[in-house]
This record gives sequence, structure tokens and C-alpha cells, in this order.
Amino acid sequence: MSPVQTGAPHAEEAPSPTRSLRWRAIAAPVLRNKSAMVAVGILAVFVFLAIFSPLIVGDDPKAKVGPVFAPPSKEWPLGTDGGGANMLDLLIAGARISLLIGFCAGAISALIGGTIGIVSGFFGGRTDTALMRLTDYFLVIPDVPLIIVIAALFGRSTWNIIVIIGIIYWTFTARLIRAQTKSVRERVYVQRARALGARNSRLILRHVLPQVTPLLIANTVLLIAYAIFAETFISFLGLGDPTAISWGRLIQNAFTDDAIINEAWWAVIPPGVCVMLVVLACTIIGQTMEDALNPRLRTGHLSVRRFRVLRPSERPTLQPQTPPSQPQPQQPS
Amino acid sequence: MRSADYVVKRVLFAVGTVLVAVTLNFVLFRSLSGDAVSALRCRGCSLDFKNYQRKTLGLDKSKWEQYKIYLGDLAQGNMGRSLRTEEPVRSVLWEPIKNTVPMVALGTFFAIVFGVLTGVIAAWRRGTAADKTALWGGLGFYSMPPQWLGLVIVLFIAGWLGLPTSGVKDPTLGILSDPGFIEVFVDRLEHMILPALTLGLVIFGEYTLIVRSAMLETLGEDYILTSRAKGLSNWATVWKHGLRNAMLPIITLVALSLGFIIGGAITVEYVFSYPGIGLLIVEAIDQRDYPVLQAAFLLLTLSVILFNLLADLLYFRLDPRVQE
Amino acid sequence: MSPPLLEVDDLHVWFDLPNGRKLHAVQGVSFAVDAGTRLGMVGESGCGKTTTILALMGLLPPTASVSGRVLLDGVDVLERGEETIAPHRWKDIAMVFQGAMNAFDPVKRIGDQIVEPMELHGHASGAEAASRVSGLLETVGIAPERAKSYPHELSGGMRQRAAIAMALACSPRVLLADEPTTALDVMVQAQVLELLTYLSNELGLALVFVTHDLPIVAQTCTHAAVMYAGRIVEQGPTEALYHETRHPYTRMLWAATPDLDAHEEVLSIPGVPPRLDAELHGCPFAPRCDLAASRCVSERPELRSVGNGHTSACHFSSSVGAAA
Repeated sequence: MSPVQTGAPHAEEAPSPTRSLRWRAIAAPVLRNKSAMVAVGILAVFVFLAIFSPLIVGDDPKAKVGPVFAPPSKEWPLGTDGGGANMLDLLIAGARISLLIGFCAGAISALIGGTIGIVSGFFGGRTDTALMRLTDYFLVIPDVPLIIVIAALFGRSTWNIIVIIGIIYWTFTARLIRAQTKSVRERVYVQRARALGARNSRLILRHVLPQVTPLLIANTVLLIAYAIFAETFISFLGLGDPTAISWGRLIQNAFTDDAIINEAWWAVIPPGVCVMLVVLACTIIGQTMEDALNPRLRTGHLSVRRFRVLRPSERPTLQPQTPPSQPQPQQPS
Repeated sequence: MRSADYVVKRVLFAVGTVLVAVTLNFVLFRSLSGDAVSALRCRGCSLDFKNYQRKTLGLDKSKWEQYKIYLGDLAQGNMGRSLRTEEPVRSVLWEPIKNTVPMVALGTFFAIVFGVLTGVIAAWRRGTAADKTALWGGLGFYSMPPQWLGLVIVLFIAGWLGLPTSGVKDPTLGILSDPGFIEVFVDRLEHMILPALTLGLVIFGEYTLIVRSAMLETLGEDYILTSRAKGLSNWATVWKHGLRNAMLPIITLVALSLGFIIGGAITVEYVFSYPGIGLLIVEAIDQRDYPVLQAAFLLLTLSVILFNLLADLLYFRLDPRVQE
Repeated sequence: MSPPLLEVDDLHVWFDLPNGRKLHAVQGVSFAVDAGTRLGMVGESGCGKTTTILALMGLLPPTASVSGRVLLDGVDVLERGEETIAPHRWKDIAMVFQGAMNAFDPVKRIGDQIVEPMELHGHASGAEAASRVSGLLETVGIAPERAKSYPHELSGGMRQRAAIAMALACSPRVLLADEPTTALDVMVQAQVLELLTYLSNELGLALVFVTHDLPIVAQTCTHAAVMYAGRIVEQGPTEALYHETRHPYTRMLWAATPDLDAHEEVLSIPGVPPRLDAELHGCPFAPRCDLAASRCVSERPELRSVGNGHTSACHFSSSVGAAA
């Protein structure tokens, strides 16, 4: 047996964690969590629909196939919209643009925010102060109005929308990644590599990036939810691509086509439900990942329930000792 | 006495942000989009008006000169003229502001009160059915696009509640006789309720999550255990120690939600045809009335900056640890 | 003979684990403390000492189950759990927490937090409470004006002493201290220890002092109990444990302490403590003990008397060499 002191083991000696361990850090909690797995399932369904929508709904889902605002029936499970098109087809087609905007804008935000965060956190000093000052200013300027204004001035095409949303939401990510980068930079193995003469680029790529990536991914998932939400704002105000079908657009159509007066709930409810489901799913998955990486969920010291008092006859008996294969469960003291 | 350094710093920061916002505004509407406010491309505008715009905005001068003119105008409260009506923008904004402020205030108030209530209960009774309901309810409302919720409310609830779903006043009021103050007040209120409710519900969802998470974090702190050890009941501990400390992160997060509130207000006003700033913005976009859009955006941005400053000062007041 | 002030009889604590099993954190701990005596409970982290004293005040989480008796003046206060323990909190038995840095609510003044239990339990209020606070602060060596300070304005050592003052607010007869000197520098540590000794001698306080630092126990406590894997393995007057050590673990703990006079190597104790979520056979220390024999693995040693008020749980207690 090797001599171990009666205290915490030497954390500083730990080498840089391997690739597989990192992915497990965010994948495992999601796999364990029932709600998160349901969310993944829902998301998978929508992604599938989005990718294969042209095959499923054909060339022109906007084509008039029946009377305007026909209620749901066997022929049209979700009825028809204000233009007589099949709601179900529209919904599936809409998944494509909505998810595309969501994922791309989320990725752009993550890229910008992540880069700024890493640069700021790693180099510190004046670069850090300047970048953070910039971030602070951006944080205060309200996001949705800015998006609306820029879209009003430059919008109208899907790719413009993606870029606009992407460049607005990087601020949250930047702060988060900066904090993480700072803490990684202080870790001993990074200091050691530096002392050995490693160049900054190598330090960033081999040490900082692997540690920061899981958090970045968790944050990106949340950003995707924001982006899809923002898209509904933009489309609702008529600022989206006029030729593209998205869920936000469908909600707008319902409104401008007077679905309400026609009591055509089937034109109103489904697109909103789709947005809700995807946003919910992304939020749950992203939150689960983030919670796993930043465990601040300590035991609360307040509870309605109390500890139990047992009589000697009620004492539990424990199973006999098993070989030490799992880590020791920690006493909450 | 704590030094007022922090206050000074935050005020300076707010001023700095105002400058950034104003400049951003200028850059967006002048430089990048080919003088969106100039009326040069406005078909319905008279020639006189176009010449007037060119002169007062200094369109033939350099961008830097234009910027200085812009700043000077703003300092005097001159926000240009509407391209649609050729009226000064300032007077165009006034009525809608009077409509929007009470509606948003009502909705946000509702959201804060119920959000705090649900959030605290959820955190306190962590793991119970109450907590799960609050969590999923909050998540649910948080994921709803406000315009969609508005449409759903109009479809299903408005008729049942007998509340009006558009405008801010009953057009028949005041035709047959002079309406009393109470009548007008009630009428306004009736028209405000649905938009405020819609906005309030979506924000309530977000606030429930924020308060719950802030409260959970606070309830894990050592001084909560100390409080219990001293003999305080759960309730007294939450009220005296928990809430007071959880207020701090809550204020920060609420300040960050202002952009979302505004976005929600805009779409909700559109759905309910409620003639506030939000609807004005939508119409301005529709009619390409960019001076109005620019002014409205600036106004909203300045309000948010102001609220952030107030939140900072409140934080300073509540947290004795803040000093610099 | 009057019963001891505090007596713990066969205390067990189990925690529910997420995987459905239970952790047997405290396994039949018994000890007694008289007025004016100081008991030091020593052991590695995770040995159950903190859980034990939390149990004495009923501050265990809902995942915990306890059995055994906690007798205050001969009356079992653990009998019906929260119901019977709550009335005694802070009035008869008070606690100074580990890392008292955070035991204070950061947004309230120190004085107010010391007054809080006084007013709650009807001990004093208003001006009388204020003067009591001044008196308490003086007792612990803090200038009375500091009652108006916020926790972050006090140094670590002062906060610890203020926590002691707060614990004394309702004149309890038993004081539990959980690692009160960890994270304090040596000079301040000495002050706090002196203070605790003084309080115990002058006010007749019974002190239960939890620490992993054996020399502190030697310095401050009249009695000591060494805990390992949830059990007490040696207990008795501190002198006896030092001069006539009767348990290998105790001896190794002494040996692991750097001795400025001797020139021996500082020994570390190889191995790790056993898991507490499974039934243990034999002596829990056997895997790490240099005196271990086959009997130790198969038969669990019970606490047996090895001297005057001195017990040890070891088959080979007589073979254990003295620390000095």
C-alpha cells in the first residue's frame, strides 16, 4: 500500500483529463436524467423531420389543397391554414427553417462568445478589461429590440436573420467561458506546461479548450433555445424571409389571416406547441449539462420533512461488505 | 459609512452605455443602411419635406458632422420628424408611452409577485409535488412565445372572461354622455388586462425559475443552518434570512430580463392591437417610418439602461459587502 | 450522584443514499460530559464526528434516521425527534459551526444576529438585549462597538469569536464546537482556544470540541474521544490517552503530528477508512493497523475499560505503546 496522508489527495498531480472523460462529463448526466432523455428524444424527432422534410411533404407545402381554414379531419390531420394549405405539411416544413436558424445562430453565438471568453480569460490584463467593458455595454442594450431593429433595417433573408441573432447573444456565453478559462489557466498543470516553455497557442488548444468545451456545448444548447425563440419574434413582426416557412411565420400567418375570427385553433396552436417543445427540450438538456458541470446544488438546510427517530427494533441492517469497486459515498458532514 | 465610489462608478457606466447606445443608434440608421431616416426614398413625402430633411439632418455633410448634429438635436429633445405624418417624432411617441407604461407595469408586477411566491415555495418544498409543479409550470410558460400565448388567450379565454381584445378604449364611450373618471379608468383597465396578463404569464415563467434557483442556492448556505440551530422556524428562516439574501441574485437576473420584457411587450401589443410603443414600432417598421423607429428604439434602450442603473443602486443598498 | 449534564447513549445515525442503500455514519457512540469539562472528539474527515454533534441538536437532514438517547439532565431529548429537541436549541445546547466565517448572514449586522435568539426565546429584548450583546462581545474579546459591523468587516478570527458570543446568547449549558480553529492562523487559534477554556472554567460550560487536530485536544480538553469509521475507539481523560495510549489508531494519530523536539520522521497512516454503507466484520481499523492479527479481522473489539474512566476498543490494547 502506498503511503497516503490522512487528508485530501494531491489534486495538483492530476494530469490533463483525457478526451473520453470530458465528453462523459456532459453526456452521462443527460443519459441518467429521465426528463433530459425524453427531451433528447423529442429533439431527435424534430431534427429528423427537419432534415427529411422535403421528402416527406413534397415540393410545395404552401400549395392550396383544400378550403381555407378547414378543421382537422382524416384527410388533413391538422386542418388547413388561411391559404388552404395542409397544416401538417406546413408544420413539418417549418421545422426545417426554425431548427436551421436555431442551430446556426446558436453556433455563431457560441463561436463568438467562446472566442472572446477564452481570449479574455487567458490573456487577462488590458485585453480582458477592454473586452469585458465591451461585453458589459452589450449586455445592457436590450437584446430583442436590437434584433428587431437590425432585422427591420437589414433583414428579410434567412441567413441575415441567422447572423443577426448570432451576433446578439454572445454576451452570456463570453462571461461564462471567460470565468472558466480563468480557472483553468490557474491550474497547476497549465502553469507547469507554461514553465516548460509551451507557446500560448499550444496551451490554449491542448489545455484550455478541452476543459472549456463541455461548458460551451451546454451553453450552446441553451443558446439554440434562445435563437428559436428570437426567430418567432422576428417572423411575427413580418421581418423574416417572405419565402421561407418557419414556425414563427406560421404563427404570424394565423394572426394576419384572421384565424381567430374563424376560430381556427388548429392554425394557431400547433406551431406554438412545436416551438414550446423544442425550446423546452433544449432548455432541459442544456440545464442538465450545466448543472452537472457546475455543481452548486448543495443540500438545502431547510426542509419540510424531518429526520426520523427509530426504535432499536427498527434499526436497518446493512449488506455485507462488497469489494471496493465504486467510489466511496461521501458522508454529508 | 460606505464610500459612494460604487454609485459614482455605476452612474458613469450608465452614462457611458447611453453614449454607446446613442452612437449605435446613429450608426444603424444612418451609416449602414443608407440613411434610412432621410426621406429620400420615401415616396409619399413632399418635396418640401425632403429638402427640409436634407437640411436639418445635414445629409450633404460628412458623417462626423451629421453625428454632431444628431447629438445636438437629441440634447434638445429633438428626435426628428416622422416620415409618414411629418410631425415631430416627439409628439408621436407621447400617447403610446402613456398606454404602454401602465400595461407593462401591471404585467411585470403580476409576474414578480407570483414569480417570487412560486419560486420561494418551490425551493422551500424542494422535491415535493409543489416544487415539480412550479418547475414545470415555469418552464412551460417560459417556453411560450408571447404572441402565441396571446392568440391562445384570445381564442379561448377572452370571450369567456368578457374582456376586450383590442385597442385601449371602448369607442362607444363618451358618445352619449361625458364619461366619469371611474368609467374611463375601468375601461382602460379592461383593455389592459389581457395584454398585461399575456406578458405577465410569460415573464412569470422565467421569474419562477430565477427565484427558485436563487432561493435553492441561498438555502444551502451555512447561515441558514445557523438560523435553524438558533431555533428559528423554517418560515422565519426563509423570511428573515433566505429571501433577503436571495434578493441579490434575483435583482441581477431580473435586470437581465428587461430586453425580453420589451420584446414580449411589442408582440403582445401587436396581437391585441394595443396602441402602445410596441404597436407603434410594428407600424413604423411596416410603413418604413424609420425616424419613429429610431426614436422608439432609443427610448426603449435608455429605459433599460436606466432600470439597470436603478437595479445596481438597489443592489448597493441591499448588499453591505459591495464597495469599491 | 447527579446525572452528567449531557449524556449520549448508543447513538446511531443512518443516511439514505441515492442508490437506495444506507450509510451507517455513526455506529453506537456513547459519551458523557459534565459541567466545566471539555471533551475533544478527534478523527479523520468522514469519521462521523460532525454528524454526531449535529444529531445532538437535531440538525440532521431528512435523509437521516437516528436511534439512541441524548440525555440532557437525565431527560431524553431525542425521543420524538424534532418535537423534543427543538425547545432546547440554543437555550440549553448551542453550537459553533465549522467555518464560522459563513455562519453569519452577510446582510445583517453582527449585533442584530446575536440579539435574534435572545428575543426569539424571550431571554431579553430592546436595551437589555443590546447591553447583553456588548457584554458577550467583551467576553470574547471584541470591542462592543463592533456590534454594528457586518460580518465581512470582521477578520476571520473575530468572526469565529463573534460566533462563540452568538452561541452564548441564551446562556446555554452545553457548547458544541465543530472545528472552530480550522483555517485560523496559529496566533488567533491560541486566542480562541484560550477563550473556550476560560468559558468552560468560569461559566461551567460543558464543551464538546470536534477536531481532526489531536494536539489541540491535548492542549485544551480535559477528556478525549477518538473516532474511527463511525465509532469511538478510545476514550478517556486526555492525560491518559497521551501517557497510556491504548489504541493503535490513537498512537498513529499522535505519531502523525510533527513534534518540534523530536527528530523522528512524521509518519502518515497508510490506507483509507472503510466504506460505511456496508456491514463491517471485525475491527474497522484492521486493514491499516500494524498490530493486526487474524482475530482482528474476524472479531469486532468492543470498548473495554483499560484504566480509570479510560476505555479502548482493541484486542491488543495492552500492547499499544504510549505516545510519550
